[in-house]
Amino acid sequence: MTPSFALYVGLPGQGMHLHLDALSLLFLGILLPQVVAGAMAGMRKSVTFWVFALGMGLALAAADAFTLIFGFELMSAASWLLVLRGDQKPATLYVGTAIFSAACLIPAVFLPAGPLAFLLIVLGAGAKAGLAPLHFWLPRAHPAPPAGVSALMSGGMVKVALYVIIRYAFVVLAPAAQPWWGGVLVAAGAASVLIGALRAMLEGELKTVLACSTVEHVGLITVGLGIALRGKAMDDATMAGLGLQAALLYAVAHGLYKPLLFIGAGEVKHGVGTTALDWLGGLVRGMPKLGLLMLAGAAGMSAMPLGPGFAPEFLLLHAAIAAAGSGGIIARIGFTALLAVLGVGAALALGAAVRLFGIGFLGRPRTLQAAAAEEARRGPLAGMALLGALCVPVALLPGLVLNLLTPVILELAPQAQTPPLAYAPLSLAVLAGLVAGAGWLALRRYGVRGTREVAAWNGGFGKAPPWLPFGDPAAQPSATGFAEPIGRAIGRGLLAPGGADPAEAFLLAPLQRLHTRGVRLAERIRRATIRQRLAFVFAALVVFLLALGLGEGS
Amino acid sequence: MNLTFSLAHLMGGIILVLGFSLLSQRRLAAMITIYQLQAFVLSAAAFWQGFAQHEVNLYLTGLITLGIKAVLLPIGLRQIVLRFNMIRAVETAMPVVMSMILGVGLIGVAVLVVLPSTLSAVSLTREDLAIALSVVLLGLLVMTTRRNALAQIIGFLSTENGLVLAAIGMPGMPFVAEFSVALLVLLAFLVVGVFLFRIREHFDTLDLSGLEEIERRGR
Repeated sequence: MTPSFALYVGLPGQGMHLHLDALSLLFLGILLPQVVAGAMAGMRKSVTFWVFALGMGLALAAADAFTLIFGFELMSAASWLLVLRGDQKPATLYVGTAIFSAACLIPAVFLPAGPLAFLLIVLGAGAKAGLAPLHFWLPRAHPAPPAGVSALMSGGMVKVALYVIIRYAFVVLAPAAQPWWGGVLVAAGAASVLIGALRAMLEGELKTVLACSTVEHVGLITVGLGIALRGKAMDDATMAGLGLQAALLYAVAHGLYKPLLFIGAGEVKHGVGTTALDWLGGLVRGMPKLGLLMLAGAAGMSAMPLGPGFAPEFLLLHAAIAAAGSGGIIARIGFTALLAVLGVGAALALGAAVRLFGIGFLGRPRTLQAAAAEEARRGPLAGMALLGALCVPVALLPGLVLNLLTPVILELAPQAQTPPLAYAPLSLAVLAGLVAGAGWLALRRYGVRGTREVAAWNGGFGKAPPWLPFGDPAAQPSATGFAEPIGRAIGRGLLAPGGADPAEAFLLAPLQRLHTRGVRLAERIRRATIRQRLAFVFAALVVFLLALGLGEGS
Repeated sequence: MNLTFSLAHLMGGIILVLGFSLLSQRRLAAMITIYQLQAFVLSAAAFWQGFAQHEVNLYLTGLITLGIKAVLLPIGLRQIVLRFNMIRAVETAMPVVMSMILGVGLIGVAVLVVLPSTLSAVSLTREDLAIALSVVLLGLLVMTTRRNALAQIIGFLSTENGLVLAAIGMPGMPFVAEFSVALLVLLAFLVVGVFLFRIREHFDTLDLSGLEEIERRGR
């Protein structure tokens, strides 16, 4: 049933081993459409892209720690080269994070099962997945490379990192698992949800908005995983089942609509020349097919009912409610607060999706380039259509997808209960379609015939100057203006002064200061005079002698 | 037997005290004199060990020490002092009391290291080794605390005295090693003498703080 392979390369005398179980197959299945779509979006001839995909596949199918790390680092190195094609500064930030993550993961996989190994895994893989507070690199590095790569990084690479967390937290380290491990994941996930959703609402650049939204979705998946891990450790079948259902279904859905949106953003860049939201507008007229596909993706991103993102969000809230009813008083208060955080996150995600589509694709073009945009190229459109078509069953038949996920859930948590989903979007969609059709028919039958003249609603447009008979497009609400109320209401409290990401202001900046201080110290040592160097050597000698004497004496 | 070790210890102790007073001296002429005394005692110690151990090699070591270190090098050093007109030169980078305290600490370190880590060795040579290590460390301290190039050289030579003291206390140390060390010291002295003249040509002084200042600015 579960095939294994041995590769005769790798560590001497050991080789590398591949093993495909239900979990690996699920994540490989998530990965495959993205790779196809990315290749269709213009990355087909790039060797680095295929190495990147190969590294992810190797990490997912690995049966031993060496193969896992090898694939993971192959993926990091290849994606670094790909980010470097876009821009240098984010690539440097990215490679720094990748090295940090490797420095945590490599010792962790060889440690005995215990809290230290778990924390190192969460730090290493979490930094790669963009979990707060190590998410600062993601909104910078994901938008930098070409669209096909951005899509695969955002949809696939973070999934590989999450796969590592799942594999170790639920399978490898399972004998030592404790409830607070789940609490760690929930806390990191909740912070990611809040900060990612808020920044997605406030950022002014299309691809950065998408990257911030990825931070939010990674946070949601991690919250689901954390609840499930806690439930598994406490032997709570409902919590474990619901949490895993939510997390895995979210991973599936996010792996479809986020690459779609990223490829679409790349096409916007290709057609208009910029992805700054304030320079776009009215793109549905010039690129109707792209607009339709982006609308589908935005519906997924906002977790609207009938979209692919709704069912997992629904399950996640159920899991959080189930978790809020179990455990001690602190856990109950914490999970109730988590519900509020999830609600704020969902509202902000909806706002971000509306802003993305409304400012970028509706209204009037704000620039000549946006007005002159032509329909996207055929290859990327086909890739997006593939992903969009795969979104449909996830959106309308989530129960069927959950049935497919059941073996994975049982592999991860054998005691988990997987109740059928209490949400049937297909029948809802049919009902909504019936109502809409009836309304349309009634309108046709009883509606007023002929045309009526009314005064134009001038909302959103200033008084037109004489040379612009149809109004001034620049007088529409801008992306910045749209986000301003949220920025004032929530952003001031959550973001660092000046609107910077708190992780950058309170983690990255102190690290940078520390680095500068270290460099100054090293420079002072380098500039020491001969006598000072002699004194260093002498002092070192005396210290060693003292250590020898004290060590022998005791 | 008892007399052998007590005399050897006495001479080692004198060498240590001389090395310590080297640290306290601020005048070059006095430092050279102390160094010369140290070398004399060292050669006497070598002769005594040669007599006690019935080793001809040690007599040779004593002769070399007497000839080179007790006679030739002090003459050379005094010549340099005269040439550079540094008879009255007084300097120290560190207050004398401070360097004395450091020196006492270093002797403590040496005793702390040698006595426990050589428990298995012959009991009475251990004290000799501790004294020799103290002399070496004191010489290094002189090298690091003085700013004058000549004072640093005297510190280096005193360090070498400590090495020879360790070597003669150890039965079975090959003579070639001592001989080559002595030759090396002579060569180093010649090379450093040439350097001193070059430094003097450029800076009109042997105080290396000027050199350090230039080095700092140059980078």
